[in-house]
Amino acid sequence: MSWKAIDRISPVIEKDAPPLLSEVVRGKIRSFFPRYETKRAALLPALHIVQDALGHVPYQAMVEIAELLEIHPSDVLDTVSFYTHFWTHPKGERVITVCRSISCEVMGGAGVLEELKKQLSIGEHETTPDGRYSLVTEECLAGCDHAPCLLINEKLHKRVRPQDVAKILADQDNDRLDVPRSTLFDAREEGEAPAAAKQQSTFMEGRGTKE
Amino acid sequence: MAKITIDNKEVECRDGITVLQAALEAGWDIPHYCYHPGLSIVASCRLCLMEMQMPHPKTGEMDWAPKLLPSCQTPVKDGMVVRFNSETVKKNQRDCMEFFLLNHPLDCPVCDQAGECYLQDYSYRFGRAESRMVDQKTVNPKKDIGPRPLLYSDRCVICSRCVRFTREISGTFELHVTQRGSRSEIDVFPGRPLDNPVQGNVVDICPVGALLDKDFLFKKRAWEFRPANSICPGCARGCSIRIDQDEDVVYRLKPRYNPKVNDWWICDEGRFGYKYIHDESRVKGPILRRGQSVTRLLWEEIPDILRFRFQEHVEKHGGDKVAAVLSPFMACEEAWLLGRFIREMAPQAALAMGPVPLEDEDQRFPVGAKGEAVKFEISKEKCPNRRGVEAILEQAGGTVLAFEDFIEKAGADAFSAAWIVGGYPKPWLEKAVAKKLSGKSELLVVQDIFPNDLMAEATFVLPACSWAEREGCFMNIDGLIQPFDWAIHPPDGVKRDGQYLFEIAGYTGLYSGKRVRELMAATMPAFAEVLAAPQLAAHAH
Repeated sequence: MSWKAIDRISPVIEKDAPPLLSEVVRGKIRSFFPRYETKRAALLPALHIVQDALGHVPYQAMVEIAELLEIHPSDVLDTVSFYTHFWTHPKGERVITVCRSISCEVMGGAGVLEELKKQLSIGEHETTPDGRYSLVTEECLAGCDHAPCLLINEKLHKRVRPQDVAKILADQDNDRLDVPRSTLFDAREEGEAPAAAKQQSTFMEGRGTKE
Repeated sequence: MAKITIDNKEVECRDGITVLQAALEAGWDIPHYCYHPGLSIVASCRLCLMEMQMPHPKTGEMDWAPKLLPSCQTPVKDGMVVRFNSETVKKNQRDCMEFFLLNHPLDCPVCDQAGECYLQDYSYRFGRAESRMVDQKTVNPKKDIGPRPLLYSDRCVICSRCVRFTREISGTFELHVTQRGSRSEIDVFPGRPLDNPVQGNVVDICPVGALLDKDFLFKKRAWEFRPANSICPGCARGCSIRIDQDEDVVYRLKPRYNPKVNDWWICDEGRFGYKYIHDESRVKGPILRRGQSVTRLLWEEIPDILRFRFQEHVEKHGGDKVAAVLSPFMACEEAWLLGRFIREMAPQAALAMGPVPLEDEDQRFPVGAKGEAVKFEISKEKCPNRRGVEAILEQAGGTVLAFEDFIEKAGADAFSAAWIVGGYPKPWLEKAVAKKLSGKSELLVVQDIFPNDLMAEATFVLPACSWAEREGCFMNIDGLIQPFDWAIHPPDGVKRDGQYLFEIAGYTGLYSGKRVRELMAATMPAFAEVLAAPQLAAHAH
């Protein structure tokens, strides 16, 4: 029988699990509070910080963020699930994002996506067994004039044809940015090396950093 | 008062409301999903779009604006000209309905909402007859999101009324919209279910069959009900409700809009608190006990026998030996009739008020709100008519006792004849109290809905009816008198309290709340005109 309801009542977080967010991460989140009128407003920076530190935002982290910001975990999940930027489960070292919107679609984006799936042997929202690549689709990468395009972490590859895919995948530096990374959301211990897959965009750099 | 023109008709409307509200109040049936008068406005469903006249940017002449505007978000302004009957507006409604139904499973035959579903109604009125969708439908899953409601995501139109309810009315924030765009779904945080004392309302405000009540799931079709307007007896607030019944079985209670008390909401305690009325253990028929022998009485004999026994008793022992305990679950009319009968038999008789069930404190919503911000309140006083009965006792004058004083006095053999009214949904007569009262009365009338400890020695046992079977009025905690109708017939052998009290008090004919209120109005003018909250038109919210 198809009549089956998904259980959303049973808890998914282990009781008495040790806190996931380190004191450094918490401190970094708290440092954003004075910028806004409400603590709730610090949700997006908090999510960036946590994803930067953990690689993704698991349910337990959402609950801990909610406690910090004095909001309901449901509000956090609302925001996390709204932005495809945030991951609720571990992702690969490099995330390949393919545009599925109109411009790329008419310029042959679907063919690129098919080729990627074939080369990586994974489907959408999946990660390769070696943990190197994750594949997702996105509504628009704001690169319509260079369609079809794809992102590898934060690096935009323009005018990609299906036959280019193998070359791009083979390139070791296919995610290297031309500009330096922002450290706005970094919450690293002194001397800790940046973890893999912690590439962050530069879009917030210089904004809201007034001391 | 602003004057606006809707579809070439001039409409006077209150200031500060929106065009949609003005149109709904003036009798237009404008389709809408996301708009609910009790919640904030998001203008997301796009079904209520209208055409509006604006000054042309070049000529300055008034002309129809080139794009449609959401009527739910546009405040009225004097001299405004809008229309809903143009082809553009109708086309938008048709197109929107097509989008709403794109992924809808169309499982109305097994859906509880069928018959009271906005999707059905609007589809019939504003939609098209057949679907042009050729692709596979997206089927969203059903979700168990809490102890009361069940979420059918596949039927959801993402109006976000339920989400706004938990954020603005209950203040508990359990619900949210997960994902976005065409993948949006209503959801809870896993392990943090929708579980608050007013959660049942999300089922009421859901315009489609997405949120359904587990308690009512697959029980009944909506069009089979013969509803009655009533007042919730759960607490002293006296929320306006509708009792949905068929063939004398109550299936559910729904809130009725009443701006003076509950707006659009009721609490779960009231909503699901009616189950006791179908309990098998209810007192079934009137009984007369003489020593060890027990006789089942006919209802016709009761007024004469009771009057005779009380007269005889007063002659023998004097009028000050008579007492009656009125219950805060009685309607005002019933309390008045009983008080009148007792005082007629014995003018010096003592009248008392039964115990008032109290909880620790009032519950206010949104959680933690104070003063003006409070949108909904549950009283700590778990009975509907303490104030009404108090008002009647006050008007009756003479000896009026508190329940504790009555027990004290009765324990000291002050009364030899007593009439005790219960009617509480939960056991109310404590063992110690019953023991104190036991063996003190020669003539004891016990009127209750469930058996209690005093019934074993009562001379007369009179079955009481639940509020769903009675008619009358309750006075709520703010002193507002509200009438309620009977919804179902009493069980076999049981007669309505009002009717037999009417006869016992010496009146003939049929009891009706209105008739008794006319009699009461002579001494209590407040009861001269008791009006129910006005009925709202369909789709008014």
